[in-house]
Amino acid sequence: MNSPNPTSVAEAPREAPPRRGPIRLPRDRHAIVDSFFRFQSLFGLAAVFIIAIAVSPVRNGESVFLSSGNLANIVRAVSEIGIIAVGMTFVILIGGIDLSVGAVLGLAAVGSATLMVDSGMGILPTVLIVLLIGTAFGATQGAIVARLGIQSFIVTLAGLQAARGIARMWSGGLGIPIAYGDGPQEAPEAFSTLSGSINGVLPVPALLFLAIGVGALLVLRTTAFARHVYAIGGNEKAARLSGVPVRRVRITVFAISGLLAALAGIIHAGQLNQGSPNDGAGYELDAIAAVVIGGTSLAGGSGSMGGTIAGALLLGILNNILALNNIDANVQLVVKGLVIVAAAALQKLRPRIA
Amino acid sequence: MRYARRAATIVALAALVATSACSVEDDPGSSSSDASAKCGSGKDFLIGMSQANNAEPYRQVMNDDVSNAAKAVPGFKVVVSDAAQDNSKQVADVENFLSQGINLLIISPNEAKPLTAVVKKAYDQGIPVIVLDRKVEGDAYTAFIGGDNVAIGKAAGEYYAKTLLPQGGKVVEISGLPGSTPAAERAQGFREGIASNPKIQIVASQTAEWLREKGQSVMDAMLKSTPDIDAVYAHNDPMAEGAYLAAKAAGKETAIKFTGIDALPVPSGGIKAVEQGRLQATFQYPTGGREAIDLAKKILVDCAKDVPKTTTLGTQQITKENAAEVYTKLGGKQ
Repeated sequence: MNSPNPTSVAEAPREAPPRRGPIRLPRDRHAIVDSFFRFQSLFGLAAVFIIAIAVSPVRNGESVFLSSGNLANIVRAVSEIGIIAVGMTFVILIGGIDLSVGAVLGLAAVGSATLMVDSGMGILPTVLIVLLIGTAFGATQGAIVARLGIQSFIVTLAGLQAARGIARMWSGGLGIPIAYGDGPQEAPEAFSTLSGSINGVLPVPALLFLAIGVGALLVLRTTAFARHVYAIGGNEKAARLSGVPVRRVRITVFAISGLLAALAGIIHAGQLNQGSPNDGAGYELDAIAAVVIGGTSLAGGSGSMGGTIAGALLLGILNNILALNNIDANVQLVVKGLVIVAAAALQKLRPRIA
Repeated sequence: MRYARRAATIVALAALVATSACSVEDDPGSSSSDASAKCGSGKDFLIGMSQANNAEPYRQVMNDDVSNAAKAVPGFKVVVSDAAQDNSKQVADVENFLSQGINLLIISPNEAKPLTAVVKKAYDQGIPVIVLDRKVEGDAYTAFIGGDNVAIGKAAGEYYAKTLLPQGGKVVEISGLPGSTPAAERAQGFREGIASNPKIQIVASQTAEWLREKGQSVMDAMLKSTPDIDAVYAHNDPMAEGAYLAAKAAGKETAIKFTGIDALPVPSGGIKAVEQGRLQATFQYPTGGREAIDLAKKILVDCAKDVPKTTTLGTQQITKENAAEVYTKLGGKQ
């Protein structure tokens, strides 16, 4: 920096470095293509939305898909997966994966039911304890990944088994029904708010999903923590050399994932009036699908929270419109598989065209 | 690279085409039937069948029974959804049915408590609800149809006491998933059934969680730990078949008698196993699918106001004598 002649090279006007890849596009066209890929999931969401309107069954002259009741059902149904997917996005951005989220959801659902019904706790302590359990579970996995250098796939696969085991031990293997009231074996009535809606339209879980999604979007856009996350996902060694506290960020990211999975578990118990140790089986895969459709790379380092939110909504709309048209359940699975592959394929095209 | 890109594009297009093609192939007119259309003959009715899990053979047979019975009723159209053992998904499935304006809901709930609210919601909207096999809480439904596991276990026990082991003997029990209601009830009924013959002893009881492969490994262990087993009472046919395989590997398959429960009319089911001599007997756990459509016809076509709130289905004992006949009668595929 105190070189006597620092300017000449750096400030000399230079041409932009040549772009790599087989296709070179003029600048303006390039920008258009690039922004298409950047907002791929939004375009996908819009496209699926329009297709859904077009093929929606019509009843009494009205589109069934567009009815407010149906739209509310879609966001309600997708909110648990959406909340998990928000946490999963952080994990995938650092190049990791969290397979334990579905099992942590089950553990949290069991915890919510047990603490309120069997132990007679109030809502606030119950929620705090359950969120703490989820966070601690996630942080432990993060610490094992960061300290021992074991792949997160393995650690969270083990975590999945462990969380299910703990949930089954805690509940005695059975679902714990939640009854509401003031009695000793009853949960406070207020907990059932989770299955309700605001003004009879917006379901409470959907509101929580949107709030968490927007919060995470801001965190990922504005904070130093987010820059660290992207840096680790992009090139861990470079990040460490430039002073990023890699271990701490790792642990934090898995803790966030555990926290949000536990929150989804609380919502799950509130919506279904039961905590069962088998709840949330396979949810990790739906959450990963939402993140991938949202354009986040499984290799880490690139992706966005807005994409994940759009990806989750896209999956929800897809489920809904296929169901509304009575598509065979097995065909639905194939279609969902194709959409996931298509989203990933588009991401692969990006560096070549853009 | 060029191939890869072309392939990717094709997949992307295929996905879009698949989405739209699948969505339009269905006739939208058929699902637009008016929910307020009341009962009566000569009308079209859309029936939503919400299944807890299509992956189990028993539930697949239930779906087939519902669909086949509905085909015989003019104007009936059945759509089936699969909740894949997920309570949340089953709630969403029913909500989707309500959006579509079904005229009647048949539901086999994954679990009682989580599905109670949405079943009540449908019922409160004036949609008749027939609950199959597993119950919901409260009484906000039109009718429940299901088998009686205690009675089935008891029928099995009486068969042991009178026919299979009249001189008494050592029985091992291979039970279903611990904590599940059918496992508890099939165990309880069996003990009531064998009570009349004190010479029958249950010498061991292990769980195989309804699974054929676990039935095999559990039986393996019991053959080593328990000498002179006379018979195996398994809570379902796949576990009985697994136990048979283990005994066969030990060369004891003729010395031991095996029975199961469920009697599904499918090639891999218990009726065939009885017919082919691997099992001595099995006891039918009826799906209630046909009965549900009969009831739906009464409600929708015949405008019946009073239908029985609870229908308990009987069981049927299947032995080598009647196996082939029952298989055909239940609509089994050859």
